[in-house]
Parts: sequence; structure tokens; C-alpha cells
Amino acid sequence: MDLSSNLMGIPLKNPLILSSGPMSRSGEMMIKALDAGAAAVVTETILNEIRPNVRPRMFNRGQGLQNIRLYSEFSLEEWEREIAMVKERGGILIANILAHSPSEMAFLGRTVESYGADALELGVSSPHGEGLAVLGSDPENLYELVKTVAQSVNIPVMVKLSPYVNNLAALAKAAQLGGAKGISAINTVRSIMGVDIDQMVPLLPTYGGYSGEPIRPIGLGAVATICQTVDLSVSGIGGISKFNHLLEYLMLGADSCQLQSALIFHGFSVISEILSELESWLEDKNFSSLEQIRGKALSRLKSFDEIILEPKIAVNKRDCPLPDCTLCTDSCTFSALSKNQKGLVDIDSSVCTGCGLCVSICPRLCFDMQ
Amino acid sequence: MPNIREVAQKAGVSVATVSRVLNHPERVSPNTKELIEKVMKEMDFSPNVFARSLNLKKSNTLALIIPDILNPQYMEIARGVERVAHEKGYNLLLCNTEKDLKKEQNYIRMLIEKKIDGIILAFTLLQQEDFDEIQRRNIPLILFGQNILKKNISSVYSDFKEGAFLAVNHLIQRGFRRIAYVCGEKDQLENRDKTLGYVDALLGSGLNICEDLMIEGSDDIDSGYLAALKLLKLNPLPDAVFVGNDLMAIGIIDALKNEGKRIPEDISVIGYDNIRMASLIEPKLTSVSWPVYKMGLISARILIDEVEKPDEEVETQNIFLSPKLKIRKSCGHENRVSEIFDLK
Repeated sequence: MDLSSNLMGIPLKNPLILSSGPMSRSGEMMIKALDAGAAAVVTETILNEIRPNVRPRMFNRGQGLQNIRLYSEFSLEEWEREIAMVKERGGILIANILAHSPSEMAFLGRTVESYGADALELGVSSPHGEGLAVLGSDPENLYELVKTVAQSVNIPVMVKLSPYVNNLAALAKAAQLGGAKGISAINTVRSIMGVDIDQMVPLLPTYGGYSGEPIRPIGLGAVATICQTVDLSVSGIGGISKFNHLLEYLMLGADSCQLQSALIFHGFSVISEILSELESWLEDKNFSSLEQIRGKALSRLKSFDEIILEPKIAVNKRDCPLPDCTLCTDSCTFSALSKNQKGLVDIDSSVCTGCGLCVSICPRLCFDMQ
Repeated sequence: MPNIREVAQKAGVSVATVSRVLNHPERVSPNTKELIEKVMKEMDFSPNVFARSLNLKKSNTLALIIPDILNPQYMEIARGVERVAHEKGYNLLLCNTEKDLKKEQNYIRMLIEKKIDGIILAFTLLQQEDFDEIQRRNIPLILFGQNILKKNISSVYSDFKEGAFLAVNHLIQRGFRRIAYVCGEKDQLENRDKTLGYVDALLGSGLNICEDLMIEGSDDIDSGYLAALKLLKLNPLPDAVFVGNDLMAIGIIDALKNEGKRIPEDISVIGYDNIRMASLIEPKLTSVSWPVYKMGLISARILIDEVEKPDEEVETQNIFLSPKLKIRKSCGHENRVSEIFDLK
């Protein structure tokens, strides 16, 4: 099976990349990801000035993950060795860097290039105190930054964007205009995980980055927008833990995907699981390469005006096997569904407006639209 | 005995990698280091220490020249430079000029005699002929601090005019109109830049420049205290004061409190540098921050790069880092979120 992909002109054996985060904090960790099958790795964010990590800094209780520190604790000097380890292993390494002015970013880029990095990812959209508001959400600033960096290095530059903006398309264009060869999206989403209501304190002491399963729809939306805006190598990020998630990103136009949170929760073996399930799925569907599925769903994404109005309503596809389940009747905002004495669902076709919620909410797929 | 090239060939690595194992083993991955050391042992290779020192022609010492050893801002530069120098195996000489050109020139002569590997000049007073002399000796040089770019000399700098403009503009936005300015010694280029920023911000908002409101201090706490006493003699009193550095601002706050004034209710104070103490004094001091420690790190990184690279590979780098406002209570409290995120 041909899983080969491409990252800004760098050939990849498959589309899976370890994204920037705690799991890529060292050469040793990145090599583990490569051993598990990752086609490339992105370093944890490398800075000129490191600051010690706060404790605690990560939180999960079901749902997604909040992290309030996302930068490397290794100095720039120490990264020379960590990067060399990955390069000696033959790995493709993308250095994620963050600085606060174009010239500083260019300096960091040149330095990690001299250490052997194959590409740069500009971490301009970190949800923390620094970055997002000034660097990662202003197209003019972003253009200047990307241009300065792209002109000072000989390796391809990609820009990591956040969905926490209202001008994603303009930012993607600015990055392209500045000379970026790729865009990765999305960065973690600025968040507060919750409040301890007894103590009346936030669960973590400052705003953090939210990642994992819950942000996948946000990531898919952002990637589709970027792919519809620019013709660059796009790396999809956000909530990927299964092969079908990866396929969703690819079908919406991504060339590669990055993952992190799933590996934090379940270990590097997730990578090999995704890859083997991806191969099986492609084989089952008689596809021979990823090129056959790339962007296929993107081309079917419509504007609101283009959606044809059809008088569809919900119909029973099969009898409900769960007499006590009331998911569909409770959530039918038009009160078109009711359970009869046999525990089966009656649909009042004169009331149903065809919203479709019952079709997706039913765990046993009992509904269809006609 | 085999030479380094033969070792590299047998180990299947580059000469540079073998050289790194010898000179900077910490920069080589453990596996490679082990392999090369094994090959060296097998081939009975030992580096010729005498030849190495001849070859390196280095004193392994860098110098940092700063204007005032008592100002914590300059010690932050030293902290950054020292950190990188130590990690890369260099010694560091710290020279304190006390803002005296003669003393600075003496230091330069001494450093040249000591065959220093490279020099970082922070807020230098040196003249063109001094630069020419250093460059004639082919000693790598980094200019730190001011916005003075020189051909073929790398620099790491901030913009003090922009920083002052940010500070004074912030005061104007807060509604203050009678804004005093306590500046540092006018000989220092960065202080002249701050004055330009003060003037620009006032004129840009249609306010007048009033000589009475501008007082010169000497960048330390005592001169700030004395400047505040002068300000208090003005009638009407200024409603806010922009201070050229945090040390003077601390002196001013002390004097104002002693004279029974409340900050920020009676008079607001804004400083420059965002030193550690700014967030500890009461009221916490709003200040202009510039990443001085980081600039120290970057200066040392560029300098060591220039020391270690062959001359023809060295490229002049000018790294600019912009100043930012750190808003605290000494000018009245605005929105708290701006203390957490950098807002544009």
C-alpha cells in the first residue's frame, strides 16, 4: 500500500507526524515516535529563553487536555544534540521555534538549520501570554515575520495557525505571500478547563491550550478553510487518535497530519495502530494510494446557497432495539418523535422538519432521511 | 599514529563530528560518541594536545562591557551571556565602565592584550576609531542595546524611543495631560532616544512640551528621589511622571510616599526596564519591558558563532527585540487581561 505523502517537498513514507509537544521534548522521545512508524517529528517549541515549567500544568478529566505550558525546557545549545540524535537515526525533523520579532525568529531558524533541521514550523499561535495576539493573528505582522525567516534559511518554512482568530484565510494568505511553503493547523485552543466550585479557583492557575478529541471539529473546519484559501502543503492537527480522523483531515485537503494528545494518553503505539488500520481501510476500499482520497470531501463542501432544499424528513430504518433509550425523543426539538407502548419510535411526519439530529444521535442507527 | 581524518573515515562520520567529540562531547549524541570513541581506541588515536592549542589559537575567554554594575538590568545581560558562555565552555570577563569613555577604552586595550576571543559592548560610548582598532585586530564584536547599526558588526538591540513612546502614550490614553519626565544621563544614547519618544508622544497627541516638566537624573535610586522633590515644587503638580528607568522610579515613589502623596490617585508613575523589583514594590510599578536576559543569551550565541566560524562564513546579524508595556497599578488599573496576554 502506498501511504507516501509530502511535506513542503520533503517526501514522507506516510502522512503521520509527531506534533510539537511534551512527547517531542527530546531526541530520545522523537526517536520512539519514529520507531513506532511516524514519518517525521516536530520538536517541542524551541526558544532563545527558556523558563522553568510550572507545576501542575496539565489537566484532564474525560474530554480533552489542558496544558498551560507548551515550551521546551532544553536550551538552544542542548537542542543541537537532541536534533543530531534524530538526524543520525535518519529521521525527518521539523523544528518548532518561537521568537518575538522577525530578526529573532530568523536567528533561531538559522541556528536550528545549522543543527540539521529539515524544516521549520513557526509556533506563532501559542495560546499563552506570548504570541497569539501579536504574532499569530495580525496578517501584516505575520507576513513580515515569515518573509524575514524564509529569506534567511534554505529549508522550507511552515506556519502553525490557531483557530482562535477571525481572519484565518487572511493569515494563511499572508503566510503564503511571505514565502511559507506550508501551514499546520490547528494550535491548541485558548481555554480554561473549569473551576473548582468549592474552592472557587480555576482548575489550573492560568489560561491554557485545549487539545484532544473535542477540538477535532475545530481543526477540520480550520484545515478546510486553509486548503480553500492557499495552495500550500497543509498539515492537519487536532484530536487525531484513530485512522478515520486522519482520513477526515486528508479528505478535507491536508497533505499530512500531526498528533500529540492521543500519544500522551495512550503511548506511541497509537501511531502504528493508526497506520495499520489506515492500510486495511484503503485495501478494503480498493484504493492504492492516498492521492485517490486527498481533498475529495473538500471539493464537496458547499456554500450555504448551494445546498439544495429537499423536503426530507426522518423515517424509521429499523425497529428500535432499546426500549428504555430516550435519546431521540428527548432531543427532538420539534416533538416529532415519541415512543409507543412496544418501545418503538413513532415519527409524526406532519411535525418533523427534517433537522436530522435523530439520525446522528441514535447509537443503533435506527433513522434515515427520505 | 592515525590522524583525525582516518578516524572519521573508519567511523563513517565527518571530521567535524570527530572534532566535536574531542572539543564539545556534550554536543554529540551518546551513540555516535560511543562509536567514535571505540574507533579511536581501536586505532590507538589520541589527540595531539599541543597541536590543538596551537590550532585553536584561542583564549577561550569572552568579555562583556557594561556601564553600571549596580543596575540590575545590566546584570541580567551578564546572566544571559554567562549562561551561554559557560555552556559552550568559555570564561567571561565582566568590565564595568561606570559610563566613562576613558575607562571603556582602557578596558578595550587590556582585552586586546589578553587576546580576548570576542567582546560584547553594552551601551557603549566608544568612538569610531575605537571600533576600527578592534576590527583591525579581527576580534568579533557584538553591539548590545542601542539602535546603532554599524557595518560588519552584529548587534542585538531594542528601540528606546519606541518604548518611551509606548509609556507616554499609555499615560495620555489614561487621561493624563500634565506629564513630567525624569530622564537618565543625557550622554547615554538610549536616554536621548527615550526623550525623543516622550516628545513624539506628547506632540502626536497635541500636547505641549514644557521644559519645567523635564528633569535630569543619573539613573540611580537617589537621583530619582531628588527629582521627585523637584517635581513636588511645581505648581500645578504634574498628574503623571514617566521615568527613564525603574531604579529612579523606585526613588520617586519613595519620595512621593514620604511627602504624603498617593500613587496613582495623586500622581501616576511609569518606569522603564521592568526589573524584578518593579513587581514587588507598592504600588506595583507599570514599566516598559525589554527582554534583556534573552538579549544577553542571543548576544553570546552570535558572538560564539562568530568566534568559532571561519571568517568567510560569518554573516553580520542585527537582531531587534521590541519593547512592551507591562501594566501594573502605579498608573491606575486598566483591564487585568492585558497583564496576562500581550495585547496589540
